[in-house]
Amino acid sequence: MLVDAFLELLNLWVLVAALVGIVSGIIIGAIPGLGPTMAIALLIPVTFSMQPIPAIILLLGVYQGAIFGGSISAVLLNVPGTPSSAATAIDGFAMARRGEGGRALRFALYASVIGNIFSCLVLMALAEPLARFALDFGPAEMAMLMVFALLVIVLFGGGSKLDALIMVLVGACAGIVGLDPISGTPRFTFGSFAFENGFQLIPVLIGLFAMSEVLLQAFDREPLVGDAEVPPLKSSAVRFVELWRMRMTLFLSSLIGTFVGILPGIGSTVPAFMSYSLARSRSADPDAFGRGAPEGVAAPEAANNAVTGGALVPTLALGIPGDAVTAVILGAFMLHGLAPGPFLFRDHGLEVYAIFQALLLSSIPTVILGLLFFRVAIHVTRIQPRHLLPAITILAIFGAFSVNNSLFDVWVMLGAGVLGFLLRRANFPLPPLLIGLILAAPFEQSLRQALLTSGGGYGIFVGSPITIGLVALTVLSLAISLFFSLRKPRI
Amino acid sequence: MRYTRRSTLALLAGLAITPLAAVAQQEYPTRPITLVVPYGAGGTTDISARQMATMAEKILGQPIVVENQPGASGTNAMRSVASAEPDGYTLIATTSSPSFVTPALRDVGYDPQADFIPILNYSGPFHGVVVPANSPYDTLDALIEGAKSGAVTYGTAGAMGGAHLAFASVAKDTGAMLQHVPFDGASKATAAVLGGHVDAALVPAYRDLVQDGQLRLLGVLDGTNDPDFPDAPTLKEAGLAVEFPSIVGIMAPAGTDPAIIAKLESAFTEVASSDDFETFMTDLGQPVRIMSGKDLAATIQENLAAYREIAKDLGN
Repeated sequence: MLVDAFLELLNLWVLVAALVGIVSGIIIGAIPGLGPTMAIALLIPVTFSMQPIPAIILLLGVYQGAIFGGSISAVLLNVPGTPSSAATAIDGFAMARRGEGGRALRFALYASVIGNIFSCLVLMALAEPLARFALDFGPAEMAMLMVFALLVIVLFGGGSKLDALIMVLVGACAGIVGLDPISGTPRFTFGSFAFENGFQLIPVLIGLFAMSEVLLQAFDREPLVGDAEVPPLKSSAVRFVELWRMRMTLFLSSLIGTFVGILPGIGSTVPAFMSYSLARSRSADPDAFGRGAPEGVAAPEAANNAVTGGALVPTLALGIPGDAVTAVILGAFMLHGLAPGPFLFRDHGLEVYAIFQALLLSSIPTVILGLLFFRVAIHVTRIQPRHLLPAITILAIFGAFSVNNSLFDVWVMLGAGVLGFLLRRANFPLPPLLIGLILAAPFEQSLRQALLTSGGGYGIFVGSPITIGLVALTVLSLAISLFFSLRKPRI
Repeated sequence: MRYTRRSTLALLAGLAITPLAAVAQQEYPTRPITLVVPYGAGGTTDISARQMATMAEKILGQPIVVENQPGASGTNAMRSVASAEPDGYTLIATTSSPSFVTPALRDVGYDPQADFIPILNYSGPFHGVVVPANSPYDTLDALIEGAKSGAVTYGTAGAMGGAHLAFASVAKDTGAMLQHVPFDGASKATAAVLGGHVDAALVPAYRDLVQDGQLRLLGVLDGTNDPDFPDAPTLKEAGLAVEFPSIVGIMAPAGTDPAIIAKLESAFTEVASSDDFETFMTDLGQPVRIMSGKDLAATIQENLAAYREIAKDLGN
């Protein structure tokens, strides 16, 4: 199986897809203000006509490239392309001001690759066993798992818990539109046939993450990056010994990234800051952190790259995405006929293992292209996003239309764009909204299926070891969150 | 500058879906034919329709472009083809659900009988009644008898699908307590029966799981036996008064010139009866079931009436 999957990768188109993905990811990620979620959302429609393997590899390449690209603008300009590279910017920018920008970027690059390889190995080890186990996840287990997932997003997603809760509920309300999953009758469709299908994920995604960015930039004339001097980039190198010295930091950060990634809905910002603090507290010289410590760059980068592999575990095994990016990738999997769940590995094992191996091997082109792009990247970071807005708009409209060849989806995309714009201006986080929208329909369906099979008895939600474990986890998370909020002095 | 690559891809994709300009009217077909598939790319309906298209374009001498219009269990695509120009250049490869199940339940914006001319039926997956291998039920009768003393749950691919309606009618006729649990797609219903979360499932694509011994096949919902499992009875053979015939056929909008319909029927029938097509479908795990346009029309008419009755009984 592994060899067959590897042979699938020996194809010119797979290589082209990986390279195109990584390069466009690095470039998009390096532009301040444009992040990996938007890059993937925009590129999904481009992959429609491709074979599943190159299509997914292209999207994962974009993601990996964009995460690294984000650290370029974080290090050189102190403008993190994504919230998850905010932790990288602390020490990275300090190093860059000292003239060590090149070294900081190399540390970021190598740490990213190590985080990615680590989490990918965990993914390969865990996803298939978990998928087998997925047969034991009946409606009641799925319902409790989703309660836990939604709770985790609200409690530990960072930022205001109330904001996150509101966003999850807005997403869930949008998820109600369409055919009732149990009785099959139309709900909130206002007699329109187009609404019967509900709001499609991909147009909503493109609207929320790409169109809203266009509107935000169009109305917000303040440029993200002024004409600030970019610190000089001296030629430099990172020796293997230096990485070896921080092996424990890299290992622990990758571990945090991977396992926080497995928890649904948290995303990569929290683990990046978690591993930054851990690296500082373990360091012999904690005062160096914040003033340009290489470990301060390596720790968050290893963690935020490790999140992808971890987040793909529940996404592929159970169909529950770990964060906004895996939600987008989930959409791409479904679109290419690779439905997550217990049969994914049986029916599409070849494709899935080829994709895993590509994720692992793509570290090689990422390092090569990353090193090549340092010099170019300085120029890329000076690109004003406003020059790209017309192109993004066209791609967004084209992409939304091409999902179902339906104009209705274009209106949904534009509506989601305006909504996303308003919410972002009001500082509401968008990922909880997306997860709410994705999980609302399956949660409702699982809950009602469970009640149908139990004849209306609620005992089914604590009727198996899995549900009891999930209920315990839910209660534990609530308790932890309550404990910390009570201990924190009120301001 | 960094957008050149993406814009080019977008442009190329745009060009690919632009229909070529019509040329002067000669003998049909003079330009590419569009075959609409009401489901997403990569599903069995899509794959078989694409094979049909590839093989038929050699006979018809014009390319056949498959266009996926998924959504709303196929009714979106049916509605758009119903209102397409009846010139023989827009056809649809459709299935049971948008042809006679959903239209029996609610207004879908088209009339499956008046708005379409069936050209032929070429496939249709068998739907089986399956139970886990350790289930106490060995036969369809035992399952129904069991459901008389206590509720038996069964999963299907979705609410108000053909399989659900068929069993709802069985429950009504026999007084059995058959509790429907709708899933989001047949594979999830299959997973639920394998995991023992429901007592039975009415799903297609059961062959490998039954041969593996993980599931037991009690019967089929179709009008005829599954050739892979000739011992599994149809519902009628088991003494029940319903069936859920599964169709996959090609239809044209009403008003299409009969000469064009005849030409298409002969071309598609030639493809469907070829050995190459049979081999392809076997690899896909799908049967080849050829029915003329007239027979397909009769099947749709008959089942539409039957399903309207069932839907009425269910209180819709």
